[in-house]
Amino acid sequence: MSLTTTRRQFLQSAAVAGTAMSATVAWPAWMPRLAFAPKQSAPRGDTLIVVFLRGAADALNMIVPHGEEAYYAMRPTLGIARPDEARVKANLRTVDLDGFFGLHPSLRPLLPAWQAGHFTAVHACGAPDESRSHFKAMALMERGVASETSGPASGWIGRHLATLNTGNPSPLRAVGLGALPQRSLSGPVPISALRSIADFHLGGDPAALAQMRNALAALYAGDDPLSVVGQETLDILDTLQALDPLGYQPTTTLPYPQTEYGMGLKQIAMLVKAEVGLEVAAIDLGGWDTHFAQGGGEGLMANLLSELGSGLAALHEDLFDYADKLTIVVMSEFGRRAQENASLGTDHGHGALMMLMGGNVLGGIVHGTWPGLADGQLFGPGDLAVTTDYRDVLAEVCVKRLNNSALTEIFPNYTATLRGFLK
Amino acid sequence: MPLSRRDFLRLSGLVAASATVAACTPVYRKLAGDPSAPSPWPTLTDSNFAALSRMTFGPRPEERQRTAEIGLAAWVEEQLAYETLDDQPVYWRLQNFETLSMSANELLDWHSDLFDGVDMETVPRELAQATLIRQVYSRRQLYETMAEFWSDHFNISVEKEDCWYLKTVDDRQVIRPHALGNFRDLLWASAHSPAMLIYLDNQVNYSQHPNENYAREVMELHTLGVEGGYSQQDVMELARCLTGWTVKTDFWRGDFTFNPDFHDWGAKTVLGMKIEPASRAEEGVREAEQVLERLAAHPSTARFIAAKLARRFIADDPSEALVAKGSAAFAQTNGDIRAVLRTILLDGLAQIQPKFKRPVDFVVSALRLLNAHTEANGQLLDYLARMGQVPFRWPTPDGYPAISRPWMGNLQPRWQFAMALARNEIEGTQVEAPKLAEHSGARTPAEVVDQLSALLLGAPLHLATRDNLLKSLKDADDTELPTLVAAGLIASPAFQWR
Repeated sequence: MSLTTTRRQFLQSAAVAGTAMSATVAWPAWMPRLAFAPKQSAPRGDTLIVVFLRGAADALNMIVPHGEEAYYAMRPTLGIARPDEARVKANLRTVDLDGFFGLHPSLRPLLPAWQAGHFTAVHACGAPDESRSHFKAMALMERGVASETSGPASGWIGRHLATLNTGNPSPLRAVGLGALPQRSLSGPVPISALRSIADFHLGGDPAALAQMRNALAALYAGDDPLSVVGQETLDILDTLQALDPLGYQPTTTLPYPQTEYGMGLKQIAMLVKAEVGLEVAAIDLGGWDTHFAQGGGEGLMANLLSELGSGLAALHEDLFDYADKLTIVVMSEFGRRAQENASLGTDHGHGALMMLMGGNVLGGIVHGTWPGLADGQLFGPGDLAVTTDYRDVLAEVCVKRLNNSALTEIFPNYTATLRGFLK
Repeated sequence: MPLSRRDFLRLSGLVAASATVAACTPVYRKLAGDPSAPSPWPTLTDSNFAALSRMTFGPRPEERQRTAEIGLAAWVEEQLAYETLDDQPVYWRLQNFETLSMSANELLDWHSDLFDGVDMETVPRELAQATLIRQVYSRRQLYETMAEFWSDHFNISVEKEDCWYLKTVDDRQVIRPHALGNFRDLLWASAHSPAMLIYLDNQVNYSQHPNENYAREVMELHTLGVEGGYSQQDVMELARCLTGWTVKTDFWRGDFTFNPDFHDWGAKTVLGMKIEPASRAEEGVREAEQVLERLAAHPSTARFIAAKLARRFIADDPSEALVAKGSAAFAQTNGDIRAVLRTILLDGLAQIQPKFKRPVDFVVSALRLLNAHTEANGQLLDYLARMGQVPFRWPTPDGYPAISRPWMGNLQPRWQFAMALARNEIEGTQVEAPKLAEHSGARTPAEVVDQLSALLLGAPLHLATRDNLLKSLKDADDTELPTLVAAGLIASPAFQWR
């Protein structure tokens, strides 16, 4: 986009000159003339997509430790059958990965990505917080800090964006899909919160819309930083209008789920292909707080996993040509109790898992140190222990895939260990 | 104003019980003095506009007229004496919100249901709605900006545990009574506020397992400031003093109580002050109260509060001289908030630097200046959420950021709001841009732009911008034009600043 380049060059020269742009400014005299720091160019890394499973997803029934006796002892009803369990229909058994772990049958759509070396998981992964409170645990995890009142209020992705100046002025540099902007994105770099990409418009009928668009172009014709953001926002509006988000045709035969989450993934894929400056997208999938009637190979959680898995599989295939510049992280605030409860569900636990997808994950094995589920191996009231801090995984994503090694700022008061989950 | 018999009967019903918003709208709008077209129309250049934008949620023409008549200093005095300003319009509008006046116990009872569980949405939504309605309609604008200021200073998120209903009590009994009162009384009320004790975990501060959260924040964020001269040892010792400050959980759930069984009865030293253990159980609460008195009178507190007020009202980076004057006023008056604010405003207004509107400032100023009618309902809150600021939902104890930088950007939801507002597409909110333009006396499209600029921006657009704007709207007809001009100006860069 030549316009963008021109604007950026102009900003750089204006900042170097340090002059107030007085004569042609389009607003009252008391409005500000902000000094604009010169942008240091640093190349951006992958496009990062973060899927947050809200409500504490049951890690033990996602990547099933089918080689673990204690798993079946504690989950007589909810346990996912062993891959060779003849008494259970084949399509309801665990899909074996490595002889010990296997996929929940609803995650079977992810098998091709696993086989391509583009999908893996870090098991027994999570946060040190033991509150077992959804609100607290999510807030801490999205902020990337250890306690509610320590560390910055911004989110870890927000700090990643703030510390890596890629010279990318796109208002779609970071996009949060959902009702509320994700906490992980908050920080000094503007983010776009969208119900959906199709929502990124001005509203109104076409005639009014065109006039409003032109009016905005006239009003944001200045050369101050806010006007520049405005011009970029207009570019994106135009781009998206041209893209016709509702008419987007994915390059995959796998269907995206017809849900808000599925449509969100599809729109992210569209943005990646449109090359509109997207660096980070955050999207949520809720409903994982399965205290009651969680189900096993079928049922409540199986349906959610099906939505999760088929969406990721469609995204993976749709963006296959971009796989080398794409990293997907799936996470949840904590896991669930190993022992099933009396309501055929599971209560709040501790250890969870994270899933990683993309062309540069180290595939072929399930990562992490497996703590075991036997007596003496469980944590607290009977939970999967945490053997990998979630920040170790995210830190490795930042360093290796996002070209950002400012870990002391992204995860303050934490020394991350890069454990080799990614290339 | 004359009421018909029919209106009177409907009014009686409204006051007596719980008429729905829809059913009583005509009457309460009549009673509340629904804003008619602004009169007189403001002038195109207004030297008080920027200062007024800082002390109000957007200056209505009446306020601009008043300052033109009596001057800014006298206007500040009028606003500081807020009790003398009639606020009936707000009073009537708030009659629809039953939960505002309920006690903690009533709130919990009212919204608990044995079968459907607890409705945790209505109480915080009504508090947010009422807050916005006050900001839009109240004539006590400076008082409302201070209520917002202290809500950030003593931040409590309704998303933390029982705060979803206790914040309503905190707003009514802590923030609003003391917003322009004495800082010591405000701090005292906040420290005894169940919502605050729960928000900062003091209800789990036991002698055997001390929790330092509130003890730390009351010094770091509420009084001394992080560089204010306290140590980790002081935090731990104050936490010991505060053991047993908790919230009733059974009878009178949600009320403050001091539980001697949880209290640490040893001797403590806080900020160099030796605190002897109370001799009688019921006097244990005095230990921390002595520290509160000390904190309220501390020179670091005077400075911290003065600097924060200067940042809110004058500039993101206020001058040292101004902070010193405000601080001196605090010390001389033993924390009279009115006196400190008077000093900051009268000395500082001449040196104000632009600040980027926070989402609430942006939305409320658009509503006020376009003379909107609003119920501030879910749709409006939804727009605010997408811009990033719903009242009382900031999770961390530092409050919504007061400086410009975190808020710059994310223009698209603001533009969408401007368009939806001007075109009357927000449920429960109405504006009449064409009527406003007609009232202004504008005859030509250029005059429409000038008059609406005078109303919304307090100044003319640059000539070239005005011409380009007119060119871009050349296809609009006579009724469309004012709507699109209003939308454009609200969405414009200038309107994002105050």
